Amino acid sequence: MQLDFNFIMYALKELSKVIPFTLFLAFTPIILGFVIGLIVAFIRMSDLKIIKACANFYVSFYRGTPVIMHIFIIYFGFTNLAQEVLNVSLNGIPLYVFVLIALTLNAGAFLSEIIRSGILSVSKGQIEAAQSIGMTMSQTFRRIIFPQAIVAAIPNLTNICTAFLHATSIAFLISVTEITGTANIIAASNLKFLEAFIAAAVIYWVISILIEVLSAKIEKKVTKHIRSGVVQNT
Amino acid sequence: MSSFFDIGYVFEAIPKLLSYLHITIEILVLSIFFGLILGIIIAVPRLYKIPILKQIATLYISFIRGTPILIQLFLIFYGLPFIVGMVGIDITRMDAFIFVVITYTLSNAAAFAEIFRAAIQSVDYGQAEAAQSIGMTSWQTFSRIVFPQALRVAFPNIASTSISSLKDTSLAFSIGVMDMMGRGDTLITATMNALEVYVALAIIYYVIVLLLEYGYKFIERYLNRYLVKEAI
Repeated sequence: MQLDFNFIMYALKELSKVIPFTLFLAFTPIILGFVIGLIVAFIRMSDLKIIKACANFYVSFYRGTPVIMHIFIIYFGFTNLAQEVLNVSLNGIPLYVFVLIALTLNAGAFLSEIIRSGILSVSKGQIEAAQSIGMTMSQTFRRIIFPQAIVAAIPNLTNICTAFLHATSIAFLISVTEITGTANIIAASNLKFLEAFIAAAVIYWVISILIEVLSAKIEKKVTKHIRSGVVQNT
Repeated sequence: MSSFFDIGYVFEAIPKLLSYLHITIEILVLSIFFGLILGIIIAVPRLYKIPILKQIATLYISFIRGTPILIQLFLIFYGLPFIVGMVGIDITRMDAFIFVVITYTLSNAAAFAEIFRAAIQSVDYGQAEAAQSIGMTSWQTFSRIVFPQALRVAFPNIASTSISSLKDTSLAFSIGVMDMMGRGDTLITATMNALEVYVALAIIYYVIVLLLEYGYKFIERYLNRYLVKEAI
């Protein structure tokens, strides 16, 4: 047995066709989950007892169970519900929609934690200062808290981006043809599993590195004004 | 409604799934144990800045962090027999369990190596100098001064890595390991109650994670017992 390098090249070419779809699967949940995360973060920092308990449970449950469960439960939950209760078949809906829903709910839980710690990283004195010059609560949030919280959250947001890119590989288990699923298909039809998964690994690796490089650039740019230490950074 | 979701079956499935819990725990414990050892070995070249080995360790960590665990699982499952086959040993019939333990060990080791490095670098170098100035050997300095302080910093991260590792074990069934997920699969084929089985599995994972978090909180408190509390 020998490694077929030509096949790895062929697999790389085939797999790069599904990169946009995989990125769509990974980043749509993060964008939608950001909205959920924001709402949940506010609820968890508020004094609304019962809703707060629900929000806490939502976050702890999603963080405490594997992503594959979320995907399966959303998939079987929705199809069963539609079939048995509403008597409609969801066969026409593409499978990736269920993955998107599951990952969005998952992203909401993780992002709410990140947003919360970002907001808590802004000192209370700044909020008091903003209010003392007559800013409303929404102005304080939009102009003072949010810009600083989001900068503090950049490293965590980067981790979330790579984590979700990697989580999309699980979608292959319900036959979504993203990178891993496609790799599996071309591997099975040519009986070259190792080569196909090496190609998939290379693609994931390169995208992950690009995400990290990009985020380091963004972080450097938005923290330019922060001066600390004894030597002036240029 | 009852045909949509049979809550009774969830409770029926839980004991059946729990009888395979030990496989999941074995994978977790073995991969964390070997991962800690390998993690220390990988952290050393980066801490002591040993050329070439340092670059290899960095590349290794970057690869593990840059690829999904599922892909790593497949690479080991298909790649290891290939590599070992080149020296003439046939392991294609080896138990899938071993492939899974190897994969999670390699994956945990990369995470642990980064955690150890950060933790040891978080201890001020002045402490090591102070220890040496009172005549401690370098092993004494490490084991009595640097390590206990580094452990305190590293522990929360080791804990959270072990929890995500537990969640990752749910993918082991994809290469044919008969753990809780694998058992769940057979239950689904037999009864068609997919939703109930996955809800039961989610409950089991959730409870284990909660128990682990609870236990880790105690250990963390123990490790921080010498920290001076802030005056109120």
